[in-house]
Amino acid sequence: MKKLALGLFPVITVLLMVWGYHQAIYVAPDDALQGYIFRIIYYHVPSASVAFLFFAISLIGSIGYLAFRRSNPARALAADAWALAGAEVGVVFCTVVLTTGPLWGRRAWGIWWTWDARLTTTLVLWLIYVSYLLLRRFAAGPQMQTLAAVLGIFGALDVPIVYMSNRWWRTQHPAPVFGGDADSGMKDPTMVHALLWNMLAWFCWGMLVLFLRYHVERRHQQYAAQEAEEALAGAD
Amino acid sequence: MDERSILDHQFVVAAYTVTWVIQLGYLAWLGFKWRSEKRNAERRLHNSR
Repeated sequence: MKKLALGLFPVITVLLMVWGYHQAIYVAPDDALQGYIFRIIYYHVPSASVAFLFFAISLIGSIGYLAFRRSNPARALAADAWALAGAEVGVVFCTVVLTTGPLWGRRAWGIWWTWDARLTTTLVLWLIYVSYLLLRRFAAGPQMQTLAAVLGIFGALDVPIVYMSNRWWRTQHPAPVFGGDADSGMKDPTMVHALLWNMLAWFCWGMLVLFLRYHVERRHQQYAAQEAEEALAGAD
Repeated sequence: MDERSILDHQFVVAAYTVTWVIQLGYLAWLGFKWRSEKRNAERRLHNSR
């Protein structure tokens, strides 16, 4: 049953991606103001939402690692693997946001980039998590995971700032699609449906990649633990 | 199609393509990493025999 579910999930994800693409390109109408270029929203906004979700998973994993590192090392290692997987997949989605955004901005605003609050805080978020991944890649020693967990927690503090930035400050970036004031958001239900389908599709894709990354890291942890055991046995 | 529509279409194609290049590139890297971990485990098993 578990094997069937594991085999079906990628198939459902691919079907959702195809359906989401169909909705975005062929079903949703052009935006009244921006026209065809508005369709970038169907990849841009879901990528941002999924990135936020995965940074939250990284936050929970980092807290879990710090909470269990002395009392339950096995559970702490699992939490650490979730923290790493969440951060890495989050960076991938955040990279998509930071590349599709300027492409959209160039056509909608006439500029590739502006240092407004939403764009700047998103870039800072990306830089924090890239530094988290670099720390994990190049630092060595027993303190590395603890330092990474602390950095992961501080990095996650930027997520609510990014989310609230176009509510707290006047920005070039448009008002939020969901949860904004009465004037913001999508008015056409077909557009809303297309966005929700793409959100679901990218969420499933993200979960698939996240589980893969988690299992790769767990395998790496097992390998490292065996190597350490053998080294200790050799020293004795 | 006027020039604006053509440019809009090209930018949408670019955004969707970049998204898939990033996502599939990461998936491929993950596949290589998975295979390398698997090989390490097999080598370990072989050496311990």
